[in-house]
Amino acid sequence: MEIFAALASVLGDPVLLGWVFLAAIVGMIVGAIPGLTASAAIAMLLPLTFYMEPLPALAFLYVIGKSGRYGGSIAAILFNTPGTAASAATQLDGYPLARQGKAGKAMKVATISSVIGDFTGEILLIVGVAWIATIALKLGPPELFAVYFAAFIVIGSVIGKSVTRGLASAALGVLVAMIGLDPISSTERFTFGSFDLTNGISLVPLMIGIFVLGEVFAQIEERGKTTEMVPDGDDAARNGLTWAEYRPCIPHVIRSSFIGSFIGMLPGLGSAIAAFVAYGEGKRRAKNPDDWGKGALEGVAAPEAANNAVSGPSMAPLLTLGIPGSTIGAILIGVFLIHGIQIGPTLFLTSRDLVFALFACGLIGIVMYGIIGYYGAAFVGRFITRIPTKVLYPVIFLTSFVAAYTSRGNLFDVYVMVAAGFLGWLMRKLDFNPAAFVISFVLAGGAEEAFRQALLLSDNGLMIFVTRPIALLFLLIGLAALAVRVRSLNRQARAVALEDA
Amino acid sequence: MKRREFIKTGVSAAAIAVGAGPALAEWAPRRPINAILPYSAGGGTDALARAAAASADGILPVPLVIVNKPGSSGITGATEAAAARPDGNTVMVTSAGSFLLTSMLRDTDVNPFDSFQIIAQIGNLTPAVIVPANSPFQSVQDLVDAANANPGSLRWAHNGRGGFHHVAGQSFLNRNALQAQDVPFKGGGPTRAAVIGEQVDFAFVGIQQAAGFENELRVLALAAPERDPVRDDVPTLPELGFDYVPVSSPIVFFAPNGTDPEVITGMEAALKEITETQQFADLMLERGNVPAFLSGAETEARLRQMQVDTQPVIDALSEQG
Repeated sequence: MEIFAALASVLGDPVLLGWVFLAAIVGMIVGAIPGLTASAAIAMLLPLTFYMEPLPALAFLYVIGKSGRYGGSIAAILFNTPGTAASAATQLDGYPLARQGKAGKAMKVATISSVIGDFTGEILLIVGVAWIATIALKLGPPELFAVYFAAFIVIGSVIGKSVTRGLASAALGVLVAMIGLDPISSTERFTFGSFDLTNGISLVPLMIGIFVLGEVFAQIEERGKTTEMVPDGDDAARNGLTWAEYRPCIPHVIRSSFIGSFIGMLPGLGSAIAAFVAYGEGKRRAKNPDDWGKGALEGVAAPEAANNAVSGPSMAPLLTLGIPGSTIGAILIGVFLIHGIQIGPTLFLTSRDLVFALFACGLIGIVMYGIIGYYGAAFVGRFITRIPTKVLYPVIFLTSFVAAYTSRGNLFDVYVMVAAGFLGWLMRKLDFNPAAFVISFVLAGGAEEAFRQALLLSDNGLMIFVTRPIALLFLLIGLAALAVRVRSLNRQARAVALEDA
Repeated sequence: MKRREFIKTGVSAAAIAVGAGPALAEWAPRRPINAILPYSAGGGTDALARAAAASADGILPVPLVIVNKPGSSGITGATEAAAARPDGNTVMVTSAGSFLLTSMLRDTDVNPFDSFQIIAQIGNLTPAVIVPANSPFQSVQDLVDAANANPGSLRWAHNGRGGFHHVAGQSFLNRNALQAQDVPFKGGGPTRAAVIGEQVDFAFVGIQQAAGFENELRVLALAAPERDPVRDDVPTLPELGFDYVPVSSPIVFFAPNGTDPEVITGMEAALKEITETQQFADLMLERGNVPAFLSGAETEARLRQMQVDTQPVIDALSEQG
């Protein structure tokens, strides 16, 4: 096994280990700062790596990507702000936990789940890199659309109590995703002649607005009613994590790790989608689905395992085919180019040692951020939850403005965030579903592109989705999930009717 | 190890060049020069611009900093660069072919001629016709025959409508009276993957995209008047006797309108020196490319010619909506 040789050589190189350690810390910090995503940090640090040897440079950025995905969960749990898009699903249960004073517990669950997910993905990558690449190659636009379709339906289970309002929220998300340039013809849609809108609405300011500003507005409204966010009491009982508490999370973590790894293999889907799919699937299969969204530890474990599991397998299509599975992947391609390493099927012949050393650094990086996160994040969590609301919310309010601006350095994004903030507040007030809105916004863009590419391939014939076996398989999975869901809804409705009678 | 040597040779070459270059005398920048690059980090244009920035060490007395401002197919960054204070501290480096075509197709507020002064060209990206390795098409003639036998049956990929690969491909089809359905993908990597995965019959992508994929792809022809210096085994379309429109994308430095002519000439001379360094040549070669310097006036003439040549295709595309 080459990976053991690579591990041994990496462990014997203190400078390299230093870079990996630094990356684990930098990634966690930037991931935890709302708006400053891991991909933005990598883009900023990219010039620094030009002067490094290829392996430390790649390992540094690769591990930042991993620990950044994890770091996003810290902000999601503490501030209801997804530090990265990938952690937007984590906040659905993470933030309610924090409000119950269990932030430390939630963060420990997030850490363990991220580490397990990341490890699963990395091992799958190391074992099956060539095989993953072959699969990725077979997936054209029709298959990708079928996967999006299945994802839409599986995620539908987070839509909440009112199906009509949930669907309306999702439809609104699709509508907002339409703004900007048409993905195929590059003509403008819903831009109303505004130049800024030709670029579409970006995800980061939209999310910050909907989740953070919306929450701040809701808090302003409730001012005076609830003064104390954290009830007094024994910290250890609320923030320690026992095996009995984590055990129910294990099946979710295992399932989510594989969901995340699979989505990572598919080019272009990315960790945000993996996290939402894992959350939806977890909730659907959970023994306690009613607790999800109100502070279930499983609801933190599932998306966190999935979003980190994406990291490893997404390297397979990246390294062998040059298809980035994520923004971070796109930047890593640049790093390979800058260092004169030609990405492609021959990479494993020409730079085999380098690639396996990189994977080894990935494994070591996971252990490092896991240990730092487990002890460090809990400490930060205890500290933050002691800050009174009237101090915390103004700080969050200001931070969200900085975060929206820094993501692209564009003032227009700040306006988007403020508008989204009012929208998020209104949606909550009128019982619409902000999560469904954001998820369908994330999915709609890619789904539309894949759908229309498929139709161009087939002369506008819909049969292309049925005649290609992999596409058909995913369409059937989606339809089966839909049938199961309709049946359980009907049963619930019947049960309610019986009670009424 | 290799890199270190490049840097060493690059620096020493640069030192000699500085000693010999009198052109810089009149222009002495004091603050770092920010070059706005309107695409995201890690792309093809980004790689070339960063190669230039790395080679500028020693030639320019201040650092050349690449600032990525992606969005709206490169227009977001261009708009910002055009509005920057014309003091020589802010310039733009971009894929000028894409910039020109996008500004023609979308009638944007900024365009290469009215909003900027052209400093110089440092490199070039050229489209090529590629097919999957298992494709029955061994030559461009096979491809043309298949398209004629069954008009509209072939599928071809490019990296976005209105981009120079799309316009190059569509011009080739139009000039040879062929019909084929285009399928746009986002960027060069996904386009190449669509060809390798045989989702499409052929594609127009940069010839550099084929480097490292010799067993998966076959390059049938280069859409340029002369052969590629790196892949000189690939014939050109005119060599094979096919009509085409030379659409390529020069990598060009632009300065906002109103920049002091002395600054422009100084920068033009500095860029010339940068493209002549061994380090720049080596960095370019790693990307399957070679330096290609053109003065500001030559670059402008080239872009104007491209504007005239591509106008019919752009008009046809605009009508389709």
